[in-house]
Amino acid sequence: MSIMSYNGGACIAMKGRNCIAIASDLRFGIQGQTVGMDFEKIFPMNDHLYLGLTGLASDILTVSERLEFHIKLYELRENRKISPKTFLSVLSNLLYEKRFGPYFIEPVIAGIDPKTRQPFIASCDLIGCPMEPEDFVVTGTCATQLYGMCEALWKPDMQPDELFECCSQALLNAVDRDAGSGWGAVVHIIEVGKVTTRRLKARMD
Amino acid sequence: MSRRYDSRTTIFSPEGRLYQVEYAMEAIGHAGTCLGILGKDGVVLAAEKRSVHKLLDDVFTSEKIYTLDTNIACSVAGITSDANVLVTDLQRTAQRYKLSYQKNIPVEQLVIHLCDIKQAYTQYGGMRPFGISVLYMGWDEHYGFQLYMSDPSGNYGGWKGTCIGNNSQAAISMLKQEYDEDGTTIADALRLAIKVLSKTLDTNKLTSERVEMATLTREDGKTKITILSDKVVDKLCAEFEEEKAKLEAERKEKEKATPKRK
Repeated sequence: MSIMSYNGGACIAMKGRNCIAIASDLRFGIQGQTVGMDFEKIFPMNDHLYLGLTGLASDILTVSERLEFHIKLYELRENRKISPKTFLSVLSNLLYEKRFGPYFIEPVIAGIDPKTRQPFIASCDLIGCPMEPEDFVVTGTCATQLYGMCEALWKPDMQPDELFECCSQALLNAVDRDAGSGWGAVVHIIEVGKVTTRRLKARMD
Repeated sequence: MSRRYDSRTTIFSPEGRLYQVEYAMEAIGHAGTCLGILGKDGVVLAAEKRSVHKLLDDVFTSEKIYTLDTNIACSVAGITSDANVLVTDLQRTAQRYKLSYQKNIPVEQLVIHLCDIKQAYTQYGGMRPFGISVLYMGWDEHYGFQLYMSDPSGNYGGWKGTCIGNNSQAAISMLKQEYDEDGTTIADALRLAIKVLSKTLDTNKLTSERVEMATLTREDGKTKITILSDKVVDKLCAEFEEEKAKLEAERKEKEKATPKRK
């Protein structure tokens, strides 16, 4: 039994044309038993910055709360919103501090830079190694399946509606091939000045 | 005379006074005025901007009013560097509470935390007290809208209307007369603040160059802290000037109407 698959879960973020999508499943399980169907794994850090986390549920909550602490103080001190790239550094640093007793999570960041208005996605491993690809990031117990779906469906410069379809289909079909994820899904589409949240009708098994 | 008991904060004078604490309050009496007014639907803080030097680079959005958390803001009078240190501490304390309890810190608890720190500097350590008084405005689910004032001794109180800094006594007596216990709304509070400030500040005309204001209200179940823009402040000042001129004109009319006695 791996600690990373104890609770199950999946998270995905995709880049579009001046927009980003971030989505997760809603399952909260304890090994085989599904205990909750409303455990969202995506946390808004501010209006234009969203953090998704998969892995051990307890660490998901702890890390998101600690990051919110940092970000709030940052915004009060510097009197401006944090940029996604800087947030990635904060996250990476926070995780590496626990290099020899890590948080069992795999985070995904999706945000729009407050100055340049460019979309930004990134992910890390559990000790904070950052990755900033141009297309999509996936984490969770069905990461392999998600990679497959994304490679097949993603194309550059999608508009928000098309991006929503792409992201939803990739997530839904990947979690259907994984026992540890599923039981509903939520998708956030983030554009400049607007965030649309939708819950997906998924297989509840 | 009692100068021999001045130099240490941590000893009483024969008359039972803590001179350093009192001297700290003296220092605040020379600083820019801040006043706070509690309304039914929100709280207002208004502060006098002291550093109107031409060469000063106006980078900061607010000189005397600071946001401490999403539900609390404060205004400071006294030694600015002391204020910076304590405001940073207040911000960190509020976030640490949020991290532990996943709730916004209740206003009074934040005030108490800072007052305990201030009190420590009057009792042990041998360091001088912080030379600042703070006005806090906030909202929490336990007591709604609140206004607090703390001073260098570490004492604090909840107020409906109060003032710190230069000419604060005059402002407080004016507030005592003019404050309406039952029906002060935010709009009333803003007008009253301008009225009081124009008396206590030594200028003829009040503009956004000399005064900055902030309000704390609730909208859609969320607390909203707004630092009023220069335009809005100027508008309020202009409205006050109009009112004043109107009252002056009415008074002159009355004087003309009543015949002068020989």
